[in-house]
Amino acid sequence: MTTPVGTAAPSRRAFLALSGATAGLATLGMQAWARNTVEIDVDAITNTDHATDVLVVGGGMAGLFAAVKAHDAGAATMIVSKGRLGASGLTPFGKGFFVFDPATETGTIDDFVDTVSRSALGTNNPVYTRQLAEHSLDRAAELREWGFFDQTLANRPFMQPIEERDIPLLERVVVTHLIAEGGRIFGVAGFRLDAEETVTIRAKSVILCTGAGGFKPNGFPLGDLTHDGTVMAYRIGAKVTGKEWNDGHMTRANHPAATFDGWGDMFERVPSTNGVDVHHDLGVDLNYRAYHLGNPVAGGPGSAPDAEMAEVKGGPYVPEEFQGRVPPTGDGEGGAPGGPPPGFAPSANVGGASAGMAIHKSEGLVPFDDRCASNIVGLYAAGDALGSHMSGGIYTQIGSSLAGSAVQGAIAGEAAAEYAAQADTPVIPDARISEIVEEILAPLRREAGYGPAWVTQTLQGIMIPNFVLYIKKASMMNAALAYIEELRDHHAPMLRAANMHELRLAHETRNMILSAEMKLRASLMRTESRCSHYRLDYPEVDDVNWRAWINLFQGEDGSMQLEKQPFEALPT
Amino acid sequence: MTIKSINGCIGCGECVKSCPCDVIRMEDGKAVITYAADCQICHLCRMYSPVDAIEMSPEKSIPVIVPWG
Repeated sequence: MTTPVGTAAPSRRAFLALSGATAGLATLGMQAWARNTVEIDVDAITNTDHATDVLVVGGGMAGLFAAVKAHDAGAATMIVSKGRLGASGLTPFGKGFFVFDPATETGTIDDFVDTVSRSALGTNNPVYTRQLAEHSLDRAAELREWGFFDQTLANRPFMQPIEERDIPLLERVVVTHLIAEGGRIFGVAGFRLDAEETVTIRAKSVILCTGAGGFKPNGFPLGDLTHDGTVMAYRIGAKVTGKEWNDGHMTRANHPAATFDGWGDMFERVPSTNGVDVHHDLGVDLNYRAYHLGNPVAGGPGSAPDAEMAEVKGGPYVPEEFQGRVPPTGDGEGGAPGGPPPGFAPSANVGGASAGMAIHKSEGLVPFDDRCASNIVGLYAAGDALGSHMSGGIYTQIGSSLAGSAVQGAIAGEAAAEYAAQADTPVIPDARISEIVEEILAPLRREAGYGPAWVTQTLQGIMIPNFVLYIKKASMMNAALAYIEELRDHHAPMLRAANMHELRLAHETRNMILSAEMKLRASLMRTESRCSHYRLDYPEVDDVNWRAWINLFQGEDGSMQLEKQPFEALPT
Repeated sequence: MTIKSINGCIGCGECVKSCPCDVIRMEDGKAVITYAADCQICHLCRMYSPVDAIEMSPEKSIPVIVPWG
């Protein structure tokens, strides 16, 4: 993990004031229920239809490689993204790129996979851990050719291979629906932000490179990541995993919403590569200590605990081999996202900047083979949208997040192209298209309803406080679940939107509500503590019952179902 | 106020495209701060602006919910 720049810790009074603000949501100035003053003529909205062999959804590191490799494997390929290629999601933030270079490493790939597995307490999927090591060097070489390691802004180097191949790119298009019939993917549907227009794209194969997500938390670049891919896939029957893990990136105590103030060095850094360096870190232990001391998190990985913090007993288990390993500090010129950026003081930061996000590569669609396939025929996922458990339920290998997206994107691209080469062209009945378009536009058609910003803030007030998902216990999670079910049943169906921007917010809010339910149910089910999942009421690692991942899926009655899947095995 | 001001805009649209949260829109050929409440203060708009037209503030325009005070 990386540590943002420190500032003075807030006083206890400030802490209590913020807690009070969290409890007093009703006093926020945002409109909850109100008449919908629609700014556009909804009846004049038109639909544009596209068709392709392979459709890549998302324009980050995974999406780039998925598109390039699908194209190079002979498939007609198209990219659709709600933002700009290389400038949305977490890609602009990721600057450390892990490579396993046999010429310089002293250990073997087997050693590397074993070390990650020991750190991850078995939570990693060694098939995907190995894949990372085997392919990372080749992906770094391609990125170098495109100029990725010569710049701070990724759009230009990402555009180079896309323009060279003339791959169609639809930017600022929000995909809201995956279309499937009989367990097979047929395409997607969504709408344009810049035009009063819905969009349908028929595709033989779809690769979700939609990233992870959060609850639009403050202080981390997750504002556009709301687990859209995972939630859309869940709604058409895909299995989802890894929802109980917690990312622990921090923000500054002062101006906590100012993402750049805490992480600007990552945005402005020139990307670089790094070799094997396995840890077991990211913030959950600091949240535990802070909870016991009743104070905001002070310090971070890499900082020496002060005397008072050192006295707190218990807390998350760290394998002895990895205790005391601290992420490296940067040298001022690049470096991996594993240490405080140059010049950052490691004190007085607060935990929870990334609330609602799990460990990279640990949450998302369940892989059903070693080539990023989901249980929906023709639907693949890569990067943070795939629950590959490449690194496990805790951060292990420095720089693997960005490299893993490149590696998996390429594998998924080739697999999807291979599938598409033998698949029939999908036919979606007009009636089905009309039905989906009406679902997309529903918030614009409501005469009155809940404002998406208000529902999001209500959700944040339920899910973000430290005592819900950071320090878990059944009583609080059950209480939060009751609130989330209320939002799901009585607010999500009544979200309103006055324009295309609010339409996006409405769909994102709906996705975050379902994601919150997933995180709570998975966290309640895992009655132990392991890696980044810590429960006060089950503080020990339980190897008898919990050498297993948790998969979620929609039952026939629409309810959320959960199942255990033993570690080290792909589902069948 | 998050993204604070846009001065000297040349209407290239780089900041509009580069904002992950759709905060900025084009109006009459110029970039305008339209949905400030959704700004995540990441500065991508400022960094992509070829004429350094954008000034930022660290303050969010809506109440901020964080896990710890």
